Amino acid sequence: MNLTILHFYPDLMNLYGSYANVTVLSGLLQRLGHAVEIRNVVPGDGVRFADADFVYMGAGTERRQKFALSDFRRHADEIKAAASDGLTMLFAGTAMELLGESVTDADGNTIPGIALAPFQTAQHAKRVVGDVYAHTELFPEAVVGFMNKCGIVSGADSPLLSALDMGFGNEAEHGAEGWHKHNVYASELTGPLLVKNPKLLEHVAAALLSRKGLTPPDAYPVDAWARRGYDVTARELAARTGGKA
Amino acid sequence: MRKMLAILACKLGYFVGKLVGKGSSLPGKLALKLCPDILGQVKLPSTVIAVSGSNGKTSTVEMIAAILRADGQTVIYNKEGSNQIEGVATTILTNATLSGKVRADVLLMESDERYAARTFRFFRPTHFVITNLYRDQLTRNGHPESVYDALRPALSPETELVLNADDPLSSCFGIGRDNVTWFGLDRCSYSVPTPTGVYHDGAYCPVCGGVMEYAHAHYNHIGAWRCTACGRERPHTQYAATALDLQKGVLTIDNAVTVQLAFRSIYNVYNILAAYAVCRRCGVSADTAAGVIGNYVLKNGRMQTFRLGGHHGTLLTSKHENSIAYDTNLRYVQDCGTACVVVVIVDAVSRKYFTSETSWLWDIDFDRLDSPNVKRVILSGRYCNDLAERFTYSSLPADKWEVVEEIPAAVEELKASGDDEIYVLTCFSDRDKFLTLTEREA
Repeated sequence: MNLTILHFYPDLMNLYGSYANVTVLSGLLQRLGHAVEIRNVVPGDGVRFADADFVYMGAGTERRQKFALSDFRRHADEIKAAASDGLTMLFAGTAMELLGESVTDADGNTIPGIALAPFQTAQHAKRVVGDVYAHTELFPEAVVGFMNKCGIVSGADSPLLSALDMGFGNEAEHGAEGWHKHNVYASELTGPLLVKNPKLLEHVAAALLSRKGLTPPDAYPVDAWARRGYDVTARELAARTGGKA
Repeated sequence: MRKMLAILACKLGYFVGKLVGKGSSLPGKLALKLCPDILGQVKLPSTVIAVSGSNGKTSTVEMIAAILRADGQTVIYNKEGSNQIEGVATTILTNATLSGKVRADVLLMESDERYAARTFRFFRPTHFVITNLYRDQLTRNGHPESVYDALRPALSPETELVLNADDPLSSCFGIGRDNVTWFGLDRCSYSVPTPTGVYHDGAYCPVCGGVMEYAHAHYNHIGAWRCTACGRERPHTQYAATALDLQKGVLTIDNAVTVQLAFRSIYNVYNILAAYAVCRRCGVSADTAAGVIGNYVLKNGRMQTFRLGGHHGTLLTSKHENSIAYDTNLRYVQDCGTACVVVVIVDAVSRKYFTSETSWLWDIDFDRLDSPNVKRVILSGRYCNDLAERFTYSSLPADKWEVVEEIPAAVEELKASGDDEIYVLTCFSDRDKFLTLTEREA
């Protein structure tokens, strides 16, 4: 099967190895025998969402996030329609903030987001940095990653990560993180997220395949390095949660 | 009285610290506690030079000191690792009389880019050199633009800036000022048409977000840039490398001064230019500056040679969490053309903890090791699985790289066979874990 990935603003929203989320997803789909086409979207491009099987945008600086939003807003209606229609999407890092109702920068200027999600982001001069060890309701394995942001997200009604044993979530230490509805996944965790979490990678791939009318495999081809990397990280972080994990 | 007490305490602390081999920031810390505005109360030399930026600070400071000393000036400066306010205070106060007069012609300081605003609250440099600003230790620094925002308040309008014209981000410090001296590298045999590397931080203008275009690039997004939207472009340089032949190791500055390079790296060229530019601004002649730079061997030990079994090897110190430092060393290995084995070691990213943050591995252009002269790559250290996952998606064939988790095991394996040159790429933090198992060369 031919699968199409739309990668929004790969040279603008490119912090923290963001592109690698697309790399490993594409790699997994190829190992499952599919042909994957990655279409890069730059500001000003026309976009055909009807062709897409996966939409992705990664992390950018707060200035670049605004540049991205000024273009991304053009696609707001189509993104919302596609989200309701079950199109699989991942918004990583500051890209997540664009989905909300508004982003207020550290100087107090508020700009509207695309309002797919009901949250607001307030950015501050002080950044939140640190490891995260969390749980999701999607699967039993813990989710690992690193938080590096300056935005406090409030009103995210359906978080992706429901409980954090370690680290800062949307708006609080140990508070829920990210956002998830239909097949839209959003998280400010870096790592990158799908690189560090093979289970989440499989989950996202399954969502994508199901919508395409394909049956996800019972067992995914194992990337032994990713699996071992995850095991080491999860073990090390769990040991630092003070027995909470 | 408090001033004198603070200076005395600092001198005493420094003396004791030296005896017991402790670091050089503690005495300054003590002095700042006794007299918080001590740095505003001392009489500084007429020339005060600060050097900051993501990469190249230490090397640049070392060369500036050598040039100024060759010019007959007395220079004091802080050594690597003490580049926050406490270390700067130690340098200043241990070289001051008890009445607070600093005994030197020039005070030279390496300054941490994120904490410079704190250091320069009580006095301002006459010259501020910024080597560059790019992705470096993002777990601590956030991202390059947040470092830019943190450094900006440290730059007083009266301070003359010495800036890298080829860096689109740090060059923004010069916007709206006329007291800027620009250095840069003109198009040369080393130039490539477009930026290199895994990510392209020069794709969009840091000021307006417009699309940038490059006449040429030298490494990553460092080169001759121009914004197609706002028209901002690489500033005209006062001090430029007008020709460069890295094969022969010859650098020409301003079409006039020829310098033989001891270390043939593009990086080194920018550090030399920064040092040359600020020294010329401080009245040093071109001949004196060139005389020092010619064949200057840096003492900071970023390159260390060793022997291991039948191999000769060189350890190239990169910085973990700094993709451009890695890229530069990868390019060095690729360009040297020598048949070699490359060892990449990522064992401790932080001294304090294990981190899930390995995204910087994806920012490194490991495809450069997919080069005919690189015979084999060994990945080692606690983060070897993350490295291996990264290498799975590199252009290197799977049979060219292997994982040996334990560093001693990797050393034994190398020792047991072959005589190819070895290049080791790793960070200060992991360097000795490998080097102590080899025969070091002087």
